[in-house]
Amino acid sequence: MQEEQEFIQELLNPKTQNLAFEKLLKEFQRPLYNHIRTIVLNHDDTDDVLQNTFVKVFQNLNKFKGESKLFSWIYRIATNEALTFLNHKAKKNGVSSETLQNKAIDNLKADVYFDGNEIQIKLQKAIIQLPEKQQLVFKMKYFEELKYEEISEILGTSVGALKASYHHAVKKIEAFVTTN
Amino acid sequence: MKTFKLDNEPKIESGFKTPENYFDTFSARVMQQLPKEEPKTISLFSKRKSWIYAAAAVLVLALTLPVVYTNFYRSSPEIDEATLENYISYNTSISDTDLVNLLDEKDIQKIDIGMNIEDKTIENELSENKNLEHYLLN
Repeated sequence: MQEEQEFIQELLNPKTQNLAFEKLLKEFQRPLYNHIRTIVLNHDDTDDVLQNTFVKVFQNLNKFKGESKLFSWIYRIATNEALTFLNHKAKKNGVSSETLQNKAIDNLKADVYFDGNEIQIKLQKAIIQLPEKQQLVFKMKYFEELKYEEISEILGTSVGALKASYHHAVKKIEAFVTTN
Repeated sequence: MKTFKLDNEPKIESGFKTPENYFDTFSARVMQQLPKEEPKTISLFSKRKSWIYAAAAVLVLALTLPVVYTNFYRSSPEIDEATLENYISYNTSISDTDLVNLLDEKDIQKIDIGMNIEDKTIENELSENKNLEHYLLN
């Protein structure tokens, strides 16, 4: 915690800011890429959202109150950016978010940056049947292997509620994969 | 139908890949996009500029006011004689007879005094007048 406080000070100090921010980038770029990619699915969109996320983090550094951990604050920004991006894209194309996601999954088969088989595609199709919150919880727990405590800090939901959410998500996914 | 159980299956990976060397260049790309904090510069010129505008405005006012004053306040009541004469002769119906009727004894006497000219002067005047013939014939 002490270390994090020092790092935040480095991020806020104009003299050390650039170096500290590069360190932050190196530390978070891969996990955040995976986090955003599981939400928006397509690599190019992920690239856009990831860049916007980091720019936003930089612009709002002085507003970071230190009430939550830097990690969960950054993940929260990334999640919001990704969900906002999906909503805007759906609106722009005049379709629902679910239709957009279905199309994105169909496109995965031809995506050079997707290396998956039938069961992976089917799992993705099962996930988009879920309510948004359950989708997020499942992806963060199953694909990103985040701890419940971490997900709790990011989404602002209690650990108990997250466990219940994950349990429901798994049941629905299993039922979907069994019948499809 | 075999029931699918997520826990019974080997972990299903997301299958998402990135282009080669994507993360090598990513941070540099982001660093380029970050808004640069520019040192605040207070331009002397911009301050001076407003003074120049203010001075110009005062100058324009100073030059305009006398013109406006002359045109609208001073010149209007003082109509020059020629304008007055033209106005009277073209826009009024006062005939010579009316004017004569307005003259009283005193006015006539004044005119008499004015007309007290020597015969020689009249003769000279008449001999030099080119229109004399025209006056005589009519």
